[in-house]
Amino acid sequence: MIGVLDVVLLAFILGCALATALLRDVLGSIIAFSAYSLGIAVIWVFLRAPDVGLTEAAVGAGVMTILFLVTIAKTSRPSGERTLERIDYRAAGIAIALVAVLSTTLVALPPFGSAESAVLTDEVTRYYLANAYEQTEVKNAVTAVLAGYRGFDTLGEAAVVYAAGVSLLVVLKKQVFA
Amino acid sequence: MIEFLASRLYYLVSFLLLGVGTYMMVGNANLVKKVIGMNVFQTGIFLFFIVSAFVSGGSPPLLTAPEPYVSPLPHVLILTAIVVGVSLTAVALGLIVRIYEEYGTLNENAIRKVISDE
Repeated sequence: MIGVLDVVLLAFILGCALATALLRDVLGSIIAFSAYSLGIAVIWVFLRAPDVGLTEAAVGAGVMTILFLVTIAKTSRPSGERTLERIDYRAAGIAIALVAVLSTTLVALPPFGSAESAVLTDEVTRYYLANAYEQTEVKNAVTAVLAGYRGFDTLGEAAVVYAAGVSLLVVLKKQVFA
Repeated sequence: MIEFLASRLYYLVSFLLLGVGTYMMVGNANLVKKVIGMNVFQTGIFLFFIVSAFVSGGSPPLLTAPEPYVSPLPHVLILTAIVVGVSLTAVALGLIVRIYEEYGTLNENAIRKVISDE
């Protein structure tokens, strides 16, 4: 069942997301986004996903913020007196329509934390949990799946990171990362 | 009604994050904020996956902890997705730096105007 802390954390990340969207100053928006990433990292720990929480805190709140800050240091920040942006009603209409359409699926979703949900009763989940230690001798099932059973996924991920590095050099017309 | 919403609050919040992300990508004229919006959209999807793996009273999928465990598979998929998301953001920001060198602005409407004037 959902607790008070869950509700507070969810309210915090929603507030940070709205601040990110509405602050006019891009620097303020980036700072709100890193607070948002931090809140999300805490939520991952709450949802018993410590590996994802660590990655989110290091990458989402750390690397991502640095990338954004480097970008605005190399480009510009819109100046002006107003703190908040004007609301774009056309975009707000599209966003509300999307949320409304997605919300119609809420009745079909399992309640939060239900042990009968499709993910938890699935054969794949049960197979990994039952056999991960015997077959890989790794006690962290996430690591066993990441590097063992789904190792090709991780290889594909490495290929994506390499491709991103190369395309970044091509786009910026540089020979090396300096 | 309240009970129904409370048991699906996490899903509702993930949908709202998708909405905020969409608003930022469509409504904000600044290109950097569009990329931030893309990241907010991504985390909405991540939240949906991680919540679907959760079980009340469960342990993290560390096999030394007592049962029941949350499902490890969505965690793995999201770990991969986070790293891919960072690569995507890095390339997008690289393009933004080039666009700024070319046009001297990051405002979508101003860039459109320059392109149509050429």
